[in-house]
Amino acid sequence: MNAWEELVERCARRRCEKIGPLSDEAYAELVLAVRADPEAFVDTEQERAALVIARALDAYRASCRDDELLDDAAYEAERARRMAALRAECVRALEVDGRSLDAGLLQLLSSDLEPDPLLAGLLSLERDHARDELPEGDAWDDVFYRPHLRLRAAVARVCLDGARYRMAESAATSVMDAAPSDPLGARHTLVLACARLEDEAGFDAACARFSRQESAWSHLARTLLLYKLDRMSAARRALRGYAELCAGGAYALLRPTYVETYLPDRQDAAPCSFEECLLAVCEAEPIIADVPDFIPWCQEQEWLVEGARRFAQGRDLDW
Amino acid sequence: MAHNPQREDYQRLGLRFARELDQGDPAAATRAFASFGRRFAQNRDALPQSDADRAFHLVVLASEVVDYQLPFATDEQAPGLIQRGKDLLDEALSLDPSCHDAVRMRSSSQTPSIDERYRFLLERVDDVRASCEQAREEAGAELDGERRALAQDIAMRPYWRWMASLAEEALICGRNLAAADAAERLLAADPRDTSDARFTLSYALAKLEDERGLAELERRYAEISPLRGPDDAWILLAHLALAHKRCDFRGARAQLRRIVELYPGAVGTLVRQSELPDGEFARLRVAPYSEDELVLAVSEGVVLLQEGNDRSGRGVLGSWVAREAALLDPAAAREAASAAQPEEAQR
Repeated sequence: MNAWEELVERCARRRCEKIGPLSDEAYAELVLAVRADPEAFVDTEQERAALVIARALDAYRASCRDDELLDDAAYEAERARRMAALRAECVRALEVDGRSLDAGLLQLLSSDLEPDPLLAGLLSLERDHARDELPEGDAWDDVFYRPHLRLRAAVARVCLDGARYRMAESAATSVMDAAPSDPLGARHTLVLACARLEDEAGFDAACARFSRQESAWSHLARTLLLYKLDRMSAARRALRGYAELCAGGAYALLRPTYVETYLPDRQDAAPCSFEECLLAVCEAEPIIADVPDFIPWCQEQEWLVEGARRFAQGRDLDW
Repeated sequence: MAHNPQREDYQRLGLRFARELDQGDPAAATRAFASFGRRFAQNRDALPQSDADRAFHLVVLASEVVDYQLPFATDEQAPGLIQRGKDLLDEALSLDPSCHDAVRMRSSSQTPSIDERYRFLLERVDDVRASCEQAREEAGAELDGERRALAQDIAMRPYWRWMASLAEEALICGRNLAAADAAERLLAADPRDTSDARFTLSYALAKLEDERGLAELERRYAEISPLRGPDDAWILLAHLALAHKRCDFRGARAQLRRIVELYPGAVGTLVRQSELPDGEFARLRVAPYSEDELVLAVSEGVVLLQEGNDRSGRGVLGSWVAREAALLDPAAAREAASAAQPEEAQR
């Protein structure tokens, strides 16, 4: 989530409505002015709350930078501290604007809840903020609607984490229906759910919807799907596709790494990059665990293990 | 219904005995048959039998050792029992290399992973079926009436058990469509469901979150299982899982309460959620609605209970079930939890 850019757009939109219709050029000028000093344009409760959130996310991200230098205990302590700090800022934002959906969402996500209570919290937030109508066109283009999309995408991911695959599928699909450009990557949650439900038609439809643009998720989901359907030579080809088209995919799969909670959504990663593989493997973890011989089967593929080892050497990673 | 190895052994020899008597004087036959039960119990080896019958008897002995003694054995006793089970099965195979039950039971210790066990069963299933069907035809040609029906039934049972193992193994492997498919094929082959394949099917459908499929299965109980309605622990747990998955907690609690009402000691079983090895011969034979039956259903149900990213390691549904069951009877839950602790410490 780019909280500053959304704050800029919120302020610019409101200003634009106030001073009447602006030409595209004039609006662009206005955006530049707001971007140069957003705080000067912050006026309403909503904007003030959004400012609190933007600053809180900056502070949170800044505090993550030195994590690699910490040992496990120090890391746990530091993590608990910064999650608490973020929650405190969410409370502050909610005091400014009780209707701040982003603050409510971040507060829940940073509370380290189990999947069931987290989902209950998200669904209750969704009920409280229900909107009858979607914005026209791609809902992502409406900056005021984006928190709703983020919430729905989080619902889809938490459903996947909590073994509710049909719900994950329908939540992810509703995000994609509202925002066909899918900047939140709900399609990634969808393909994983399809793989777990052994829903080949659903998987194909999801891939076709995005012109078969591949990602670490689609490669990994295809491999899992074909393995579960016991089409082993196709599964082997899919695994090869995943490992060869995703940088470090083999390593990410064989040496899964802890990925920090999404606050509030996935961090940006280039399609099929190593960073994306780390996210995909972490999100797929419950599905992989449900197929007990999947990882042993991967480990039997010598080329995969060799590829992972080479990647580890090249990047100076543990092997 | 469940497979009963001892009874099947008795039926096999009874059929053969009757066949031999048919060739003699009817009055003498009646007298001789009256003594069959005693001779079966006391002097089994002296009864007429084929190598296949002898092999099956060894399978029965192996099943007693592996399925019914081993789970209660101490760590010191276990290796001896396991070896004895293997020896009995090997001996059965030396008498009858096409003893499918022995091949299948032996494969569980010969295949290094569940995936390979699944593959082993899958690759041979058509041969097993062809072989059993041939035996059924031979039985049909030789006999008539009730004996014919029984002999034909017995001829097919090794195939049914093979399919039941295949379905169960597919479920454990995470191949839920394959599990449902194997269970359906078994139901088509044996519509009276001697193997209780519908139990495995209900779990596979719950894993696939196939609400319609599960509702349809419930409707089919009238044909598959006319004497026992759709209120076994498997279908109730499958309904419970689906309700929980769609966040219908009230519905899930209603299913949980039904389980607790129907099964004695249910709260403790649902809190412990013990995982037992599956029966090698077939699903263990236990009384319907007994505490043991729920233990089996919960043990097979770990595929549903242990799913999801729950930090306790019990799975999202497993944690929910344990917590909700405990609310229904806190004292029983405390007892189950404290009894489970020493076990965990041992591990």
